[in-house]
Amino acid sequence: MELKCDIHIHSCLSPCGSLNMSPSSIVRIAQEQKLDVIAIADHNSALNAPALEAACKNTPLIPLFAIEATTSEEFHSLCLFRDSRIAVKFGNDLYSNLQSRPNIPEKFGDQVYVDENDNILGELDKYLTGGALTYSSDELLLMVHKAGGLFIPAHIDRAAFSMSSQLGFIPPDPYDALEITTYPMNLNRGSIPLISNSDAHFPEEIGKRFFILETESRGSDDIFKAIKNGMSYPSIKPR
Amino acid sequence: MKLKSITQILGYEELVENRECEKFSKGYTSDLLSDVIGNCEADSVLITIQAHKNTIAVATLSDIRGIILCNGRKAPVDMIQAAEDESIAIYQTDDNQFEASWKIRQLMDS
Repeated sequence: MELKCDIHIHSCLSPCGSLNMSPSSIVRIAQEQKLDVIAIADHNSALNAPALEAACKNTPLIPLFAIEATTSEEFHSLCLFRDSRIAVKFGNDLYSNLQSRPNIPEKFGDQVYVDENDNILGELDKYLTGGALTYSSDELLLMVHKAGGLFIPAHIDRAAFSMSSQLGFIPPDPYDALEITTYPMNLNRGSIPLISNSDAHFPEEIGKRFFILETESRGSDDIFKAIKNGMSYPSIKPR
Repeated sequence: MKLKSITQILGYEELVENRECEKFSKGYTSDLLSDVIGNCEADSVLITIQAHKNTIAVATLSDIRGIILCNGRKAPVDMIQAAEDESIAIYQTDDNQFEASWKIRQLMDS
């Protein structure tokens, strides 16, 4: 079967994400966009994962749980998990490690986590997009794999916070896939699978880029297997 | 040291003026923004090639007075707008980071 996936969506927890991007709103719009699989991927935290999971209940949507981590080389990478609890714990560990300064919400935006009814549960103090983790990308990759997740460098073709801007090449590490925003691109990826996502920060952006995944079933194990096996077709790449 | 000297003495082009503060007392050279956020002291000019809007956010958090963009890197429109909003000066030069750092040090010692 084919599933329409957008696994890089920012929620109201990201300072750069709109306050209108509550998990419940994301779930509503994702259904309007006929998506099958979605994940919230906030910067260096996954505290909106439980609300996403709850909001997806009684909908046809399959939720996955991601974090857009800032490695010590300062490129962004998606850490993708099947289980919201594992994602939350992993995100909390990353947040503890994050080297940053206190956020100034009136300048950079709020960093709030909520429940599935948009009630604010709390806010994070450290500016989530300003600093970096002390973990290099190869260290973080091992940590993600050990926790049962997928490690997918994000928007590798962008001019900032990407593998191309920070390194200029793709290291020979066992990435599960690479996220691209344009096609074709200049970096040599070898045989690593490609995906594309919206990286939405505002409601109208959800599902604007996506990928189609050919998978055995709607189960998250099969979805992970299909991503790793390169059964993905980025919306921006001619099929 | 007056920020104006960066234009008047070194001849670097001023893209954005710092309207709130006309002086700086330190310099910091780095192209890794997390290093800047962790180690750059307040009241500095930052010497870097990181010509994008995120540099302004880091400069705001670190109380940086001005940014010197080296190697002829161009400041995008959204970076200039953010710098205007936060009143952080931006200068541009074809010098590389080493040359700019050396010149700023000389300026501070003069």
